[in-house]
Amino acid sequence: MFDLLYKELRLAAHPNLFVFTLLGVLVIVPAYPYGMVFLFGCLGPFITFMYGRETNDIYYTALLPVKKRAIVKSKVALVVLSQLVQLSVSLPFAVLRLGLIPDGNPAGIEANVAYYGFGLMIYTVFNVIFLTHFFKSGYNVGWSFLYAIIPATLGVLIMEIVVHFPQFAWLDSVESAMLLRQLPILLTGLIVYILGIIATYRISAKRFDQVDL
Amino acid sequence: MKALSITGLTKHYPNFTLENVSFSLEQGRIMGLIGKNGAGKTTTLKSILNMVTPDAGQIEMFGRDFRRHEQQCKQEIGVVFGGIDFYSHKRLSSITAVTKRFYSRWDEQAYQKYLKTFELVPTKRVKELSSGMKVKYMLALALSHNARLLILDEPTSGLDPVSRDDLLSLFRQLVKDGERSILYSTHITSDLEKCADDITYIKDGKLLASADKETFIESFQHLRRPEETMQITLEDIMIRTERRNYDV
Repeated sequence: MFDLLYKELRLAAHPNLFVFTLLGVLVIVPAYPYGMVFLFGCLGPFITFMYGRETNDIYYTALLPVKKRAIVKSKVALVVLSQLVQLSVSLPFAVLRLGLIPDGNPAGIEANVAYYGFGLMIYTVFNVIFLTHFFKSGYNVGWSFLYAIIPATLGVLIMEIVVHFPQFAWLDSVESAMLLRQLPILLTGLIVYILGIIATYRISAKRFDQVDL
Repeated sequence: MKALSITGLTKHYPNFTLENVSFSLEQGRIMGLIGKNGAGKTTTLKSILNMVTPDAGQIEMFGRDFRRHEQQCKQEIGVVFGGIDFYSHKRLSSITAVTKRFYSRWDEQAYQKYLKTFELVPTKRVKELSSGMKVKYMLALALSHNARLLILDEPTSGLDPVSRDDLLSLFRQLVKDGERSILYSTHITSDLEKCADDITYIKDGKLLASADKETFIESFQHLRRPEETMQITLEDIMIRTERRNYDV
């Protein structure tokens, strides 16, 4: 598994994936719709998959002494790694922001506990649709992305809009009591993300087994 | 010992069927897989490698069922698809650094030796290599993990006569010690005359013949015209077998 991930990072990943992953730092921008960070987390894998198609990455991997399913496993692992690194990169900046810019983010949701929970759910929506659709063919990146990015963007929009309604103001708060109240959203996000990845891998691997390269 | 044994390989596509293909390759021999464009050569090779899922058939490599022992079998083979470039913007050194991690029997000394022999520069990018050099680089990778069976899909297509001759004499040298075997597809019949012990001929998805070169040529002598006194060549065999008349 480590070797496959090494292959993904050294040969398959497009440089943009690293750039978009680092865009987790955007949560330090004083006024910005932070939901965009998650969309960058979807855009990075898309560009890498396009690049992979150009570089015949799947052919190369299929000839290595690994099972066909390993191709799916390594791609899923790369997507998970980039998204988790993106969240980890953003975390210290989210904390830093509290001290540096205590006025809050007028553009949308704060980078708080609920934000990360929603983020994991948005990633899940994207991953399940994008990866399972892509591995139906092993090359159809464009449509897979379109089908996946529309509901993911809707998720971001809902998150960004809902916090402007007074009854959901607690979701936009960074006060300790409110952060605690948001904790179930983060836990739900984590569970949804883990289950989503397992389902994504299983469905994708099953579909890819039938694909003729 | 058989390096490769294929029995009843069948694959249906909407407009093409590879039907009941069976042949075997002994260790230490070179087999040419011939057929015109679209005859099913690549489908056969991809089915052998599990890149295409066959509808029926059994593939054995070194006496082991390929599907059941895919990983172990792949450790012992080297594959070159002519015309498919991997990571054309990457340096050879990067591709090697990744590839060698997957092979338990990677021999770094051998790799360095092949780089020198084939005059490959590791800092070069794939796109900077000529077609012949690309094939040689893939061969260097395969030989450095001690591949005992080389499966090559049209490795000489698109090469100039000098590079082709160079590659074919290399194939001969590779099997000299009787340890390695080569299965390569081609539609260039002169390649086979220079460099094949056995020939397997596929026409429209069906196996037409598979035998050692002499027997193979002999078995097609019924195509000889009455005025011809000499044996007909492989090229004649292929052209006379495939010839079609267009009523236009």
